[in-house]
Amino acid sequence: MTVTAAAAPQRRRRIRLGHALSEYSGFAPAVVLLGLFFLVPLGIIVCYSFWETIDYSTVHHWTTGNYSYFFSVGAYVSTMWATVWVSVVATALAIALAFPFAYWLSRYVPKRLRTPLLVLVIVPFWSSYLLRVYSWLTILGEHGVLNRFLQWTGITNHPLGLFLYDRPAVILVLVYLYFPFGALTLYSSIERFDWNQLRAAMDLGASPLTAIFRILVPQIRPGIITAVIFVFIPVLGEYLTPQIVGGTGGVMIGNLIVNFFQSAEYTRGAAASLLIAAFIVLLLAVFRKSLSSRDAYGI
Amino acid sequence: MASEVAVLSTRGRVARGLLSAYALLIYVFLFFPIVLLVLFSFNANRYGTFPITGWTLTWYRQAFNDYQVHDAVSTTVKVALQVTLISAVVGTCAAFPLVRSRLPFREGIRIIFILPIMIPGLLIGVSLLVLFTGTFHWTLSPETAVIGQSVYTTPFVILLVAARLQGFDTALERAAADLGANAFQRLRRVVLPLILPAIVAGALFAFTLSLDEFIITYFLIGGHNTLPIFIYTQVKFGITPEVNAVASMLLGASLLLLGVAFALPQLVRRTRRLIVRARTA
Repeated sequence: MTVTAAAAPQRRRRIRLGHALSEYSGFAPAVVLLGLFFLVPLGIIVCYSFWETIDYSTVHHWTTGNYSYFFSVGAYVSTMWATVWVSVVATALAIALAFPFAYWLSRYVPKRLRTPLLVLVIVPFWSSYLLRVYSWLTILGEHGVLNRFLQWTGITNHPLGLFLYDRPAVILVLVYLYFPFGALTLYSSIERFDWNQLRAAMDLGASPLTAIFRILVPQIRPGIITAVIFVFIPVLGEYLTPQIVGGTGGVMIGNLIVNFFQSAEYTRGAAASLLIAAFIVLLLAVFRKSLSSRDAYGI
Repeated sequence: MASEVAVLSTRGRVARGLLSAYALLIYVFLFFPIVLLVLFSFNANRYGTFPITGWTLTWYRQAFNDYQVHDAVSTTVKVALQVTLISAVVGTCAAFPLVRSRLPFREGIRIIFILPIMIPGLLIGVSLLVLFTGTFHWTLSPETAVIGQSVYTTPFVILLVAARLQGFDTALERAAADLGANAFQRLRRVVLPLILPAIVAGALFAFTLSLDEFIITYFLIGGHNTLPIFIYTQVKFGITPEVNAVASMLLGASLLLLGVAFALPQLVRRTRRLIVRARTA
């Protein structure tokens, strides 16, 4: 009698433990995959950025030398600011182009056509990223379509090299790559807007543009911020676009990182990678408040 | 809705006209480069540009006979199949507790699961490179690329399956329990069939993402080539229509798979309805 009385709570605890195990056991593979192969490496990168490379091998010797080295080389610092600048311009352009499009789609397009038209925007986005960058070579290159066209119309009689291998080309291709992201996010928040409010504002004498900027834009702010974040973050870490269409004039920080790692300077590469991460954290911190509302995910 | 469109003012009609023209331009902008890419793969002109000097399948034939392309295709498919399997299993398993358990910090855990999609792939690539070569002293191979790609594709499966589980009517499971089904039977006969479309869609998605993935693979695959890496190394030597042909085939494959992934849930629903109707008839 006394034995069972003592064993009862123990058994209950065991049942509870078993229950918890079966409840959370589904996480186990994900914890291995994303813990061991995602979070741990990120931690290691942080360590590496504070270690030293001597004769191509990493020495566990704590130092801030990698960062001070990065900031002591003028070309690196200017590349870093150029990257931020290119990312800001590309993000702004992608969203400025996406806004009228999302507005058109949610206001003037009949409901049954909206989804197919939206899918049509996303299709290029889900086709290969490398190919979309590559396809611009056939347009902007020396023998590219643009030069052919200019020669054909007689505007110029020899191929111009100025379309490729500089920042404008990088920005153009980045806008092309990330426009669908912006359009999708903006659409999902404009779609829920009550157009009667705009009509009411215009009945009260507001011009259409005033009505849009004072009534519509403030209400879809979370959507705009999500779009900014989702475009800005991947752009900041771009490697392929500047590599293929940017040439020496369009180098971004992603190219520096790859060069560091390819020349076995792991610790310097780690520091440069963390600079990207720092910008991302900064961006998220600035927009933290707007992101904490569920609205921001377009749910 | 129809009457609403009809009562637009003149100004409204002008705005609609202008914006429609603008939208058309956007679609042209989005599809023009891709259309050109495919167009030039059939063009006899060997510089991969205008003018069109004739239609040909030479470049496709050349690609089919290129042993480098063969190698790249077989590596790509092998890697993609492994990535698909890993992310489908890991993602589905993780979706259950994410939706159903009494989870403390649910939002935080969700964000950690989504993080690999949000941060630039470059960071995943270099951090895994450091882990594999610096810490583990492994040799880079297609298998290390599989791990890297899985980190990136699994979150998509988690999101898709979790969304499906969220809309799942738990009364069905309780009904099965009342009828005497044990936990395994409930999972096998009730839950899995209902979330299967989401799992398959997620798997197809992972497969497509893997086919096209560049930056993580570039860091982790060592001396091997997948198709995107092959195309990239070829691009360095200039554009050739053969690359266009390979690229067009890759494009076709991913669009086909995505089409299936998006259409699948509806297809399954329709077939099921047909079967039910056939049975009752």
